[in-house]
Amino acid sequence: MTGCASWVAILPAVSNDLGAASVPSSAASDVLGAVPERLWVALLVLVLGLVSAVIVGILSRRLLTRAGVPEAIEGTAFERTAREFDTSTVAIIAKLSAYFIVAVAVVVALTVAEVDFVDRFWENVATFVPRLFIALLVIIVGIVVGDKAELLVAERLRGVKLPEVGLLPTIVKYSIVYVAALLALGQVGVETLALIILLAAYALAVVVLLALATKDLLAAAAAGLFLLLRQPYGIGDEVRVAGQRGIVQEVDLFVTRIETDGEEHILPNHAVFRDGIVRIRE
Amino acid sequence: MGSLTDQLASLVEDADVVLLFSPSTSFYTRFEEMGSAAVVVAAENAVDAEEFVELPLPFENVRDRIRFGIEGAMDADLVDEGDEVVCVVSIFGDATDAVVRVGVDSTIHTGIYDLFVNSRADPGVIRDVFEVAIELGQKGQKGKPVGALFVVGDAGKVMNKSRSLSYNPFEKSHVYVGDPIVNVMLKEFSRLDGAFIVSDSGKIVSAYRYLEPAAEGVDIPKGLGARHMAGGAITRDTNAIAIVLSESDGLVRAFKGGRLILEVDPEEY
Repeated sequence: MTGCASWVAILPAVSNDLGAASVPSSAASDVLGAVPERLWVALLVLVLGLVSAVIVGILSRRLLTRAGVPEAIEGTAFERTAREFDTSTVAIIAKLSAYFIVAVAVVVALTVAEVDFVDRFWENVATFVPRLFIALLVIIVGIVVGDKAELLVAERLRGVKLPEVGLLPTIVKYSIVYVAALLALGQVGVETLALIILLAAYALAVVVLLALATKDLLAAAAAGLFLLLRQPYGIGDEVRVAGQRGIVQEVDLFVTRIETDGEEHILPNHAVFRDGIVRIRE
Repeated sequence: MGSLTDQLASLVEDADVVLLFSPSTSFYTRFEEMGSAAVVVAAENAVDAEEFVELPLPFENVRDRIRFGIEGAMDADLVDEGDEVVCVVSIFGDATDAVVRVGVDSTIHTGIYDLFVNSRADPGVIRDVFEVAIELGQKGQKGKPVGALFVVGDAGKVMNKSRSLSYNPFEKSHVYVGDPIVNVMLKEFSRLDGAFIVSDSGKIVSAYRYLEPAAEGVDIPKGLGARHMAGGAITRDTNAIAIVLSESDGLVRAFKGGRLILEVDPEEY
């Protein structure tokens, strides 16, 4: 983006140079003179644009590869689909950025050439192209991140042998893709208010459900954090909690295990905190 | 060659169960295609076998490895007493190179599997403590052999049957065996006298503990020192297991229920 701004800045200087150069030549200058100067400038801009597009394409491909993007997105569905078409996510993004530069160069060239009859049309396109580019980029990144998140969550949940758990990675994936789609639609100027309300309702439902479901766990964890940090009692102490007397066997974030002859009481930490602890010292 | 195959065929004749120790995928698939019942014994179920026994330590001693596999299979009701078991193992290198036929009777039951799987502490914790003890046995402390005594599991009861020799360096800490820095830490602390006490979930509760169990009825070989006696005795008094690194002969021994269950030479790992 900064690159094209600087071309525009050097344009007047270039056109002056061209004008000065065309004066001494005689026969050729007649032919060349028939063509307006600004067309030459436009052509130059176009060529420059093409060259920088190729450079940007190569550069972004190398940068992405150097940043370890191919390894990070290995195995995601998007990457696999890209591979089927003999390309890769990195190549697609590199090409996109190259096309974007070409598009900008074409617009700038047309502006310089003062092609009047399509003025209004190109004005719209000039503002629309960057947005479309960002929208496409957001969609691709969204899909790739969604795929990756799905893989990561699935990996973490592999130990949990529950068929329903398979739903969770999919939910995570589509949530991310949904947000990416929202952002992309917002970029290209589609009215997304209804979709945002839908997203808010969805997020609220998730938060409320989570808070409800994990209320006790959160309380136990908060109490457990204190118990772990301050250790008012430790493993091996004889204590009485909530009417249960025994030897402490284990304290973790959520529960305290207290054992008496052949009985192990597993008490949530917030119960320990609420009811208080009696340490028994002989 | 035909006669040699005939001769050796008796080794695998009428086998009830086949135990495959860490088979390669292709080897296992060939077995599966044959349709015979094969139990896989390995560190992880890389071949997706239906009948699988997890091997917590890569026992260098093949007898221990086979015992563990058979006891594990017996625990999962895959092998019964009186069965003839054929074990396909690797002794030299990684490739499968040996076939061992074992008749399962009551003498095979030494409790190795029981030690890992049916103790109070998690199998992973016991494995981690074993690894620490083995590493300590290999390297010693600054080149000198050290001894160490780990009491694993049932920590509350063990703490009540022991007293502190000095201030506990693990007081109010949250150090778990298997954490990356722990090996170094334990190596330094192994200079201290007394036992390390590890809880069911692997938390190192205390070092510097003097164990005070009742030593009656402890059945450990004569000639082992006070450390082994204390370790063996505490496992009789509580539901803990003891993993002892001997200072004099450098072996790692495991006790459970007052009995010596397993003897491992760190130099072989």
